[in-house]
Amino acid sequence: MENSAIQKITEDLLPQKFGKQGKLWVGFLIVLCVIGFIAYCRQLSKGLVVTSMRDYVSWGIYISNFVFFVAISLVGSLITAVLRLTNAEWSTPLTRIAEIIAVSAITFASLIIIVDMGRPDRFYNLFIHGRLQSPIIWDVIVITTYFFISLLLLYFPLLPDLQILLRFKEKTNKRLYWLYSFLGSFWKNTPQQIKISRRAVNILSITIIPVAFSIHTVTSWLFATTYRPGWDSTNFGAYFISGAFLVGAGAVIVAMYIFRAHYNLEKYITYSHFDKMGKILVMLALLYLYFNVNEFLVPAFKMKKSEEEHLMGLFTGEFAPVFWFAICTAMIIPILILVSRKGRRPLPAFIAGLLVVVGSWFKRYLIVTPTLLHPFLPMHDVPESYKHYFPTWEEWAIAIGSLAGAMLIVTIFARIFPIIPIHETIIETEQHEKE
Amino acid sequence: MKRNNYLSIAIVLLSLIRFNAIAQNASKNDLLLSVSYFNNNNQTQYLVAHTKCKIDGKFQLVPNVDVSFYITNDSAASNFLGKATTNEKGEATLLIPPAAKSEWIKSPKQNFEVVSKASNLYDETKANTPISKAKLKIETSDDKKITVTVLEQKDTAWTVVKGVDLKVAIKRLDGDLNVNETQTFTTDSTGTIAADFKRDSLPGDAQGNLTLIAKVEDNDNYGNLTVEKTVPWGNKFEYSTNYDRRTLFARRGHSPIWLELLAYSIIVAVWIILIYLIGQLRKIKRLGVQ
Repeated sequence: MENSAIQKITEDLLPQKFGKQGKLWVGFLIVLCVIGFIAYCRQLSKGLVVTSMRDYVSWGIYISNFVFFVAISLVGSLITAVLRLTNAEWSTPLTRIAEIIAVSAITFASLIIIVDMGRPDRFYNLFIHGRLQSPIIWDVIVITTYFFISLLLLYFPLLPDLQILLRFKEKTNKRLYWLYSFLGSFWKNTPQQIKISRRAVNILSITIIPVAFSIHTVTSWLFATTYRPGWDSTNFGAYFISGAFLVGAGAVIVAMYIFRAHYNLEKYITYSHFDKMGKILVMLALLYLYFNVNEFLVPAFKMKKSEEEHLMGLFTGEFAPVFWFAICTAMIIPILILVSRKGRRPLPAFIAGLLVVVGSWFKRYLIVTPTLLHPFLPMHDVPESYKHYFPTWEEWAIAIGSLAGAMLIVTIFARIFPIIPIHETIIETEQHEKE
Repeated sequence: MKRNNYLSIAIVLLSLIRFNAIAQNASKNDLLLSVSYFNNNNQTQYLVAHTKCKIDGKFQLVPNVDVSFYITNDSAASNFLGKATTNEKGEATLLIPPAAKSEWIKSPKQNFEVVSKASNLYDETKANTPISKAKLKIETSDDKKITVTVLEQKDTAWTVVKGVDLKVAIKRLDGDLNVNETQTFTTDSTGTIAADFKRDSLPGDAQGNLTLIAKVEDNDNYGNLTVEKTVPWGNKFEYSTNYDRRTLFARRGHSPIWLELLAYSIIVAVWIILIYLIGQLRKIKRLGVQ
């Protein structure tokens, strides 16, 4: 491969300074985060009473957000591990996008759990007094493990790129140069280093799959091990994992489109990538739809008295607009868009991905809240506010702030590091040329 | 005009007073009072007064009624045994005090009287119960046969009594359990009943002891009599608790071994891999520095 071609790839993929739009975007996200932080300070000083959560709905949009973050983080294992192990080389430009989405999502999944606690200063008690029998402890263990695996999976393939970044001292500032040196100055691209790194990535790719399955299965068990209408299901683990892969893939398509458009990466994130990711998304949406049919049709067919109110609330009652919105936007409309070749072009695929992400957030809300409002025992002598749940502005601000925080991590990462692996792209281009 | 006003007010007030008076008389119910005699285990003798009244066609228990107890029919101060107040079950209990001994031993037959004084709600009411002094004797044999004898005091001697109904049971926490399928036994000409113990494998105390109880209930002549005896016919009770068992619902540090093995082996395996990979990272660093 000619040096000029390598030079071109490298220059194309080097991190770029924020333009006007980039700065506005970062500023917007920071404002959302600050508002969320102010709301959290209010919650800390006044207690959880500032939220709409009461005796019945004790898990509101914070836990919906938690489940959403855990779900979206699974994309790291889908793109990086599953596609890498199946030798799907086309996925190389997407691996880092997927990994940074996974790391940022899992970081905020951990934070949002602490936000949900009335007394976060007592968080350490979970470790001191936690019971191994409790799914909550399993969740804590598996989230921590998944975070470290995702971090390593992000870091190992980054090492060769750090060496490339260090070569472009004139294009970077002092602080970033220091950061690159600190993280990767020891990488000399020797055959031994490459061998160790490849082996490490392979080990991580294998390890992350069962851990990823565990993380979301355990999250589903937080609900399924509780005997309540809507949660009492043996299907929940698979239902959650299929939904998680769907939202993760949707998020990657959204991120692909945005990075492609703003960093001029059309040569690297091509129509073919949208086409393939579109097909994956259709398959995952169909799979998730299948699990949804199972999850709702079977209980609706039996219509047990104790579950009737909950189910009818979803189908035709109080939650029907949100329920059908989620089903349509997270599954049906994306399937209809992406099933045709034209629909898998960048813009329609981006719209479909966005619909999946938005619909999936509301789907998590529907998993958590309606069940809590339909206990087996009737609500007696309770204030009216206990019987309904609509988040307060503090809850919205914190939830939106956490989503903005996750996006901010991805944005800042793309500013500092190459969002498409430079070294791997060069190697693969060389291989293709040889073939 | 003014005089007319005063007159009207006076008429209204008088009519109200009259109404109240009528209302008060109308609310006085007949108090139904009765008294029972108990002789437990031939040791403790006591009296229980019961109060109830009929309200809206239904009998209601009457609490908070002061009742005075007397020995003999004469409610003279010298025969006064004591006072008690009925509880929410309409029962007032009084142990026969040692001070009544001289009166008690005068005759093998006694009469007890209870008096509730007149109040705003009830008129004075009296009730009495005559009793003949009697006692039960219980004996057991090794082949788990139970013999109970009813004895009545005649002059100074105790004589057996024929035709008295009694129950033989085992004392349990929530009530008495018959020793066999026979509900009630009747004493024969020797004043005795014989019952076979047919409740094998019944949990007893730590030594396997059970308490047998024979009882005569609401007998017209003798009142309520009981006698108890402890027998080693039960199974030894061994206290067991789930508190220290390793279960999925146990406290911290008491999870099932299989769960601990499974969970810790997974955690250790995954973290060994992660630590190994961090070691590989250090190796990469070393190679780069060389």
